[in-house]
Amino acid sequence: MKPYSLARRLVIAVLLVELLSAVAITGLALGYERYTQFHAFDIMLRGRAYSLLGAVQDAEDAGDNLMLDGTERSLPTKDIYQVTDAGGRILGRSTNWLGLGNGALKVNGDGIFRTRINGEHYRAIQVHGVRIVDPGDKGGGIPRHVTVVYGSETEHVWDVITDAVEFYAMASLLLLAISGVLMFWLLNRGLEPLRELAAAASVVSVDSWEFTPSEQAQGIKELAPLTGALEMVLHGLKRSFQQQHQFVSDAAHELKTAVAVAKSSVQLLTMRHRTAMEYEAGLERCQADCERMEEIVAKMLTLARVESQEESKPAPHATRFLDCVRAAGEQLATVAQEKGMQISISGEDAAVVNASAEQLQLLCSNLILNALQHSTEGAEVRAVVQARGNSVELRVEDDGSGIEPEMLAHVFDRFYRSDPSRSRKTGGTGLGLAICKAIAARARGNIEIASELGRGTVVTVHFPASTDG
Amino acid sequence: MRVLLIEDERRLAENVATALRDGPGFAVDCAEDGLMGLDLAGNQCYDLIVLDLMLPKLDGLALLKKIRAKGDRTSVLILTAKGEANSIVELLNAGADDYLSKPFDLGELIARAKALIRRGKGVADPVLRLADLELNTVEQTVHRSGKSVELSPMEYRILEYLIHRPRVIVSKRELLEHLYDYNWEHHSNVIEAHVSNLRRKLDAASQLPSIETLRGRGYRMVVDRQESQ
Repeated sequence: MKPYSLARRLVIAVLLVELLSAVAITGLALGYERYTQFHAFDIMLRGRAYSLLGAVQDAEDAGDNLMLDGTERSLPTKDIYQVTDAGGRILGRSTNWLGLGNGALKVNGDGIFRTRINGEHYRAIQVHGVRIVDPGDKGGGIPRHVTVVYGSETEHVWDVITDAVEFYAMASLLLLAISGVLMFWLLNRGLEPLRELAAAASVVSVDSWEFTPSEQAQGIKELAPLTGALEMVLHGLKRSFQQQHQFVSDAAHELKTAVAVAKSSVQLLTMRHRTAMEYEAGLERCQADCERMEEIVAKMLTLARVESQEESKPAPHATRFLDCVRAAGEQLATVAQEKGMQISISGEDAAVVNASAEQLQLLCSNLILNALQHSTEGAEVRAVVQARGNSVELRVEDDGSGIEPEMLAHVFDRFYRSDPSRSRKTGGTGLGLAICKAIAARARGNIEIASELGRGTVVTVHFPASTDG
Repeated sequence: MRVLLIEDERRLAENVATALRDGPGFAVDCAEDGLMGLDLAGNQCYDLIVLDLMLPKLDGLALLKKIRAKGDRTSVLILTAKGEANSIVELLNAGADDYLSKPFDLGELIARAKALIRRGKGVADPVLRLADLELNTVEQTVHRSGKSVELSPMEYRILEYLIHRPRVIVSKRELLEHLYDYNWEHHSNVIEAHVSNLRRKLDAASQLPSIETLRGRGYRMVVDRQESQ
């Protein structure tokens, strides 16, 4: 979609409304002017007609042979009039009388009618009066009905009306133009905080997450939801970006170190000539280094898979937890045997959890392996599954060396090793517990760790009990 | 020359230590965490500290700042897996002399270690010269009056250390501390034999004396005829 200017749209909309009102005002003005002007005109016409009637009544001729020639009253020369008696006899008419045109029939209640004579517009009035012929008689004279038709050109009235309308129209247009310009300027000024906000948002980058909306933008109520939303989104983005960045950085560090080990092992071999036995031992070391790299990569991928991809999948169906613990125990039996340790597994067979068997087994084997790695020879690692109300609990306990309290809070962090030298000896990658935490979180469970130096460690995992089984 | 290697990745530490022992014949002490490294750096004499950054207990940068605050002038070579520009600036500003990004080349590590030790002793030329004596630290060969002198690794290391400190009396203890790792006390009897062998081989190539023994005080390189008389 083509971008458009909100300011321009608003201005155009308001100007259109203004234009409509200007047209309406001009129309109203036209009607009003026309009404008042013609009202005044009609009064004037009536006045002139009566004055003419008066002239007829005052005529000195006592008979019916009254003739008017236009000199009786000082009437405007362009006006027309005609006086007739009841019989239709013309008693007098103006010199420029040319007939009444075809408008004569449409006489309204007031006796006003419009007509067109010789191309000119006229407005005329018809007045009936009584002329007393021969007032000197005893009987008071004979009343004679006379009709006066008096008309005047309307052109100058229309001139006045159009002048007035023109004035209104021009004034409206001028106001329209002024308000348009003013509004555009005000809108631009008013939208300034929006531009400032955009500018503040545009400088945000992965290197600088600082988002500081200007004070002006912060003070605007309408922008508050936008500012708030932006701040929240940026905060979330920053956190997830930093987490990702941290993960990539940690992973890179871990891999670089692993590669450094492998590379140095190979280079050490080539530094000088060595015996076949030395080469053999060296190659074994190289192989061990490569296997370690492989393990790190595999665990990183496992963690990534548990954490991200599987989120979209529906929760797996119910799995018997104890079976997974037993499978993990069997898997690690040889490791325990080599170290001279025991794995004891107990618990309730009926405890069922909504998680994939594969992941549960991975969780258990990670926890049991950790416990084995931190225990001394002859020790016992205990894994207990118990149903507790709405949840299922797994406890993995060892009597090993324990973890220092300040390290305890970080053991679930990726690549965190409570004691690097020790865990590297045992082949830890620092990802095992992070994977456990991700698996627990995936099944809406939680994982806790408690430890006492020299006494041992207890890892407790809680899962919501499955309702399917 | 004696090197302190502070690296928590055991396999890497083993490989680097072996390379430094096998190649230039340095004595190498290893520390697995920051605190152990700080302890060794404070109590022993080293010509170079090779320091990893990500260390348990005390990280490399903090350790570096601590030893520099104590006035320790030992050259420090940092091993880092970070490789970010600002952290390198921070490292150098904190008193590091050089750095290597993991994964690094063992050959490069050795060359840089040698250069740092040389620089630490105020020498820029990898070929050390004293009177008619010439010691090539790259090829690890020794010539006297133009004639090649074949030395055992230990004899070479003794000569290399002494040649860095002409005119100065180097005690047997100092020699031991710089040529052996922290088990140096076990070697105190053999050092005299090594020095005597070294002197015999050097003197065979020239009429001039080379190493003086000052009874009860130590050894001294003879710079020229005037001083020996």
